[in-house]
Amino acid sequence: MSDYTIERVKTGIPGLDELIEGGFPRGDTILVAGKAGTGKSILATQFLYKGATLYNEAGVLVTLEEPPRLIRRNMLRFGMDLAKLEQSGRLAIVDLSPSKEATPVTIGEYPSFDLSGLEAIILNHVKKLGAKRVVIDTLSIMAYKFRSRDILREEFFKLCAAITRAGCTLLLTSEIPAQDTGLGVFDIEAFLASGVIVLYNEKISDTSRSRSIEVLKLRGSKHSSRIHSMRITDEGIRVWPGEISPGH
Amino acid sequence: MSEKTERTEDEEEVFGESSIIEIVLFKSDSCAFCPRAEEVIRETIEDFEASVFKFTVINVTENPEAAEEYGIFALPTVMIGGVSITGIPEPEMLLKMILSAKVYKKRGAGE
Repeated sequence: MSDYTIERVKTGIPGLDELIEGGFPRGDTILVAGKAGTGKSILATQFLYKGATLYNEAGVLVTLEEPPRLIRRNMLRFGMDLAKLEQSGRLAIVDLSPSKEATPVTIGEYPSFDLSGLEAIILNHVKKLGAKRVVIDTLSIMAYKFRSRDILREEFFKLCAAITRAGCTLLLTSEIPAQDTGLGVFDIEAFLASGVIVLYNEKISDTSRSRSIEVLKLRGSKHSSRIHSMRITDEGIRVWPGEISPGH
Repeated sequence: MSEKTERTEDEEEVFGESSIIEIVLFKSDSCAFCPRAEEVIRETIEDFEASVFKFTVINVTENPEAAEEYGIFALPTVMIGGVSITGIPEPEMLLKMILSAKVYKKRGAGE
């Protein structure tokens, strides 16, 4: 074994770091995939909140789906006051949700575009805050916004590269359609990322479900290959590294 | 040549009383398709009287806040009267958008 160690970014999710040698490799792109209601957005937002409050790393949350006011409200339930972080310049919430009034109605698309606009918007905030963590929630919405999948795939690669090149660790969330077995709507989500985390909320009996988390891949790390119990508590997401999920 | 107009507080102009139709092109320094999109727009509107249009070019590299404000992240995107199209536009599509913006304005004025 070489003495070379990869610098780790603490996830801020109690129990998760123990499964992945101490945290995400700094500057990597990590995909958080799961079906609706599995806790992807909470995990991603908690990564930013804890980054700012515990590890002195500012973060940028790019929301493509949920309006910021709902994100702020929902996270308050876990005692995470995002507005306070925004005011103190440790968090920026970039509202690219469809609910924005100023956004024009798209009536068409020609297969001759790139995502340099999104890149400029994100990097502008990264620079202003000196951010070290970026979350894009959720990638899947792009599949509904744009038809040209080939362009999107290419552009995602460029976008992820630009963000991580700026020194940030990037978390992408991806919603797995209900009946699907893949990792998202593009079929390339896993290639985009050097790490993939999958969240489950499986029915274990007629009356109950069980939440769990799996580290599917994490380049450069010896990670657990089991599926571990996870819960959404009053303080956010928590993983029980010693507990193997009963649903699997 | 392109004379770039800075974006002003002209939401009123877009939706208000004025009969001028505002065309906004979002572009960036790195966008390969943007110069052609700008050309197509200029060629399409040059047959009309210049006073009918206000053509604004927003360079997102210099002004990312504007792209964020309008939620525009794919480039080039052309916005005319509350609707937009992404990619190098066809002149026919631009004309359609211009026409509907006109109709919208007339209706708005009649109400």
